[in-house]
Amino acid sequence: MLKLSIRLLRARLGTSVATLVALAAGVMILMTLSVFIVSAAVYKPDPGRYAAVDVVVAHRQVEIVTKEFDGETSVTTAALPEGTVPADLGDKLRALPGVTEVQVFPGPAKDRVAAFGVKGDAVKAVERLAKENGVEAYAGDDRGFADRSEAGDARSFLMEAGSAFGGYVVLLIIFVVTGTVGLAVRHRRRDLALLRAIAATPRQVRKLVMAENAVLALAASVVGVPAALLATTWVHDQLVSRGFVPEGFPITGQPLAAGIAVVLILLVAVVAARIAARRVSRIKPAEALGDIAVEPSRGGKVRFVSGVLTLGAGGAATVFALGATGMAAQASAIGLLYLYVIAVALLAPWINALAARVLGPVLRTTWGVSGGLAVANLRANARGSAAVLTALVLAVGFGGSVWFLQNNLQRQTVTQSQDGMKTDYALVGSMPAGTAEKIRRTPGVEAATGVRNTSVVVPIFDGGEAATAKAVDTDGLSSTMDLGVDKGSLDQLKGNSVAVSQLRADSSGWKLGDGAKIWLPDGRQVTLKVVAIYDRGLGFADVLLPRDLVAGPDDQVLVRGTAVRIPGATLVPASELTGQLSRDLALSAWLNKLLIGVMVGYAALAAGNTMVMAALARKRELAVLQLAGVTRRQVRRMVTAEQVGLLGGALTIGALIAAVTLTAVVNALTGSLLPYVPPMGWVVVLGGATVLALVTTILPVRRLLRVPAVHNAGIKE
Amino acid sequence: MDAVIRIEQLTRTYATDGQKVTALAGVDAAFARGTFTAVMGPSGSGKSTLLQTAAGLDRPSSGRVWIGDTELSKLNETKLTELRRDRIGFVFQAFNLIGALTVEENILLPGRLSGLLPDPRWVSEVVERVGLTQRLQHRPAQLSGGQQQRVAIARALAVRPEVIFADEPTGALDTTSAGEVLSLLRSAVTDYRQTVVMVTHDPVAASYADRVLVLADGRIVHDTPQPGADRIAEMLASLGRRLVAVEG
Ligand SMILES: Nc1ncnc2c1ncn2[C@@H]1O[C@H](COP(=O)(O)OP(=O)(O)OP(=O)(O)O)[C@@H](O)[C@H]1O
Ligand SMILES: [Mg+2]
Repeated sequence: MLKLSIRLLRARLGTSVATLVALAAGVMILMTLSVFIVSAAVYKPDPGRYAAVDVVVAHRQVEIVTKEFDGETSVTTAALPEGTVPADLGDKLRALPGVTEVQVFPGPAKDRVAAFGVKGDAVKAVERLAKENGVEAYAGDDRGFADRSEAGDARSFLMEAGSAFGGYVVLLIIFVVTGTVGLAVRHRRRDLALLRAIAATPRQVRKLVMAENAVLALAASVVGVPAALLATTWVHDQLVSRGFVPEGFPITGQPLAAGIAVVLILLVAVVAARIAARRVSRIKPAEALGDIAVEPSRGGKVRFVSGVLTLGAGGAATVFALGATGMAAQASAIGLLYLYVIAVALLAPWINALAARVLGPVLRTTWGVSGGLAVANLRANARGSAAVLTALVLAVGFGGSVWFLQNNLQRQTVTQSQDGMKTDYALVGSMPAGTAEKIRRTPGVEAATGVRNTSVVVPIFDGGEAATAKAVDTDGLSSTMDLGVDKGSLDQLKGNSVAVSQLRADSSGWKLGDGAKIWLPDGRQVTLKVVAIYDRGLGFADVLLPRDLVAGPDDQVLVRGTAVRIPGATLVPASELTGQLSRDLALSAWLNKLLIGVMVGYAALAAGNTMVMAALARKRELAVLQLAGVTRRQVRRMVTAEQVGLLGGALTIGALIAAVTLTAVVNALTGSLLPYVPPMGWVVVLGGATVLALVTTILPVRRLLRVPAVHNAGIKE
Repeated sequence: MDAVIRIEQLTRTYATDGQKVTALAGVDAAFARGTFTAVMGPSGSGKSTLLQTAAGLDRPSSGRVWIGDTELSKLNETKLTELRRDRIGFVFQAFNLIGALTVEENILLPGRLSGLLPDPRWVSEVVERVGLTQRLQHRPAQLSGGQQQRVAIARALAVRPEVIFADEPTGALDTTSAGEVLSLLRSAVTDYRQTVVMVTHDPVAASYADRVLVLADGRIVHDTPQPGADRIAEMLASLGRRLVAVEG
């Protein structure tokens, strides 16, 4: 069976290459992504100042245990920026049998220390004790995690990016591979039906198709794995030069990553082949004998109903995303894009038929006889071109929405920060907590606000997550920053109180006057009264805390009035503060853009691929047309008209999906109902799709037309 | 009678776009072991449909088909394929060959799929008699239409099936090659007691058969022992007149 499948593959190089390209690119993307996730997962930072002890007791993360509906519990963890350990734990540690020495690493306050270093043979007991007290013990290779380090940050950054995008990347690859394999098998309907008629059982046909695609997947790995190695090196260099990861951060686990990628692609390809073959192996052998293996031009009822249901689910999700805000909406809105694309995939035959009907008159007027032929083809082939339509819609929808999300976020952040910054300049550097107080007394200074930038852990519906926070000294706060307070007042931000952004309040379910349960940067869980809710969360921070709730020095003092100089701090004019902010944002956006760019690129590749494949599969049909007296010029015009018909549908639907998704997410993230799209953005997306569609169809067709028609009209397909 | 194939009240209708086309309108027939039957009739009369349903390539709308003691409607697709593979050879009207495989591979394909390779001496004899010995390593695309048809016949004969169905096997052949093919089929019947059912429009080809069935509008209108080429031509001509009379 394997030999036979290789023979059949070789005979259809065109379509095999298309599938191969989709699979190889899939292997490359998956493996590169996996290398970074694996590297991050196995990375152990240097123990640094804990090298001499056996176990470190520290508090680096909050664990939140939630009960699920089915009684199971799930644990989410959120990192703490400056977690501390209660000082009285020291005596308990010393009392443990087996502990020979306990070193204290002092913290910012008397009753909380940064960490305990424990020597002795009592790892298990120390771990248990730490757990009982809500902190963690780090032993052996893990000791390095007890301190926040650049490499440790890089690790969590990579893990975060991986978990945020990994699922979507895998889904996209599944989508593309299923589509491409499905189309390739569909084009071989005749061949496979003939095999069935000659003597192959349905099972043998299925096995043959699966074997073929397994061979293709393995061949794709041979190309994809080395490509991934190159890509990994390039991305790593970029990450290092952009300061995302430290120079020495090890990139490891290539064999494991390659294994993951190859196995996954193999699995997806074979399963996709199995599904596609199911349809083919069910056709009656007698159908193979007709001149052209006829297939029903529309899908079945089940397909239509599923399509409508998926569309309905997409609509419902949109309303939910538009109505809700915060993280819940963000997740649901990206899933939204996929929902819509799946709905389009299911409804494609009807969409194509409708597009043919609506655009028919236009095509006929513009292209005459060729246009008429094009309309007939579009209608007859409504089902066959489903894969092409879906791929185009996916590329346009993806390119037009997710790609611009980052722009919207950046723009909103900078705008909010610019609008809210009322200070003349800022002093930046580590300054003891009372510095602002002293500056305020300097003549010529109207107001000064000490700020410590940090993060807290806040509850969301199924656990907790880190949220940006500023601990501020509230004296004269309204003169240095305008947060756009909506409800309540920042004057009451004293003692056990907190101010939160509107988005944060929504996703954590807080209202003015509520007690908000949050974990402070040092890990203590407290209940703070919500005294104000403000709009400019993106430009400043999600959470605003009274300065005395957070220990440690200020890292910024915002000053309005005369310039004051402090040793050890740099003076930065307000205009440059926002400039710096947008540079920082652009930096952190780089990886997002890279990942999204890869996904958009893959979707575009799939679209191009699908169209080349569909064009090449028409060898016979175009030859027969020529023999019937249609000139080459007319054939070319017909193909162009068909593409225009397909594009009309694809661009309209893709743009619609992109607009809905973008609006939903932007609204959720920034509160603005009108998303921002860079002026050239739509031109690039729509123009790019048009050029892609025309080039990938017209060039292959030109090549087909160069061969005399009689050679192609024969039995070969 | 020792019937290898028996069909009973066979009907086959196609429904396309709400229109119903009746290809077979109740056909009863039996084909005995070691006989050669020619099926004739105007274009569209249901000859190909009859062959395909009798060979288990297509499922009838109603009625039953037996191959030996096995009733086909009781079999699932896999069992049906296995039965076809072991006991039936089929030569289609067109598009018979897998373009990716050589002539030789095409001929051996059914054996390869069933795992039972046919006797090599028999295969080379068949190949010789269809005149393809020099062409074994060629691709179908490099052969003429008639040569392709002969490959398909060789493939059907190679496994020595009990029954051979051939749908216009000589339609694309010159008189000499057609004669070769027909005597090949004839000797399969006479020498090996295989059963051949062959569709043809050519009275001369039909004269190689023991029996002639004539179909019109999905029904058998004549069923006679070999009447000779001239009489066959007359029968077909009268059928044409009758159809004209009915339509007029
Ligand atoms: N797949 C199909 N769908 C609809 N109608 C069909 C189909 N296959 C055959 N028919 C119709 O069934 C009738 C019988 O067709 P069949 O192929 O059996 O004719 P035939 O006698 O073999 O003709 P010919 O001598 O031209 O080969 C014809 O009217 C044909 O149009
Ligand atoms: Mg026929």
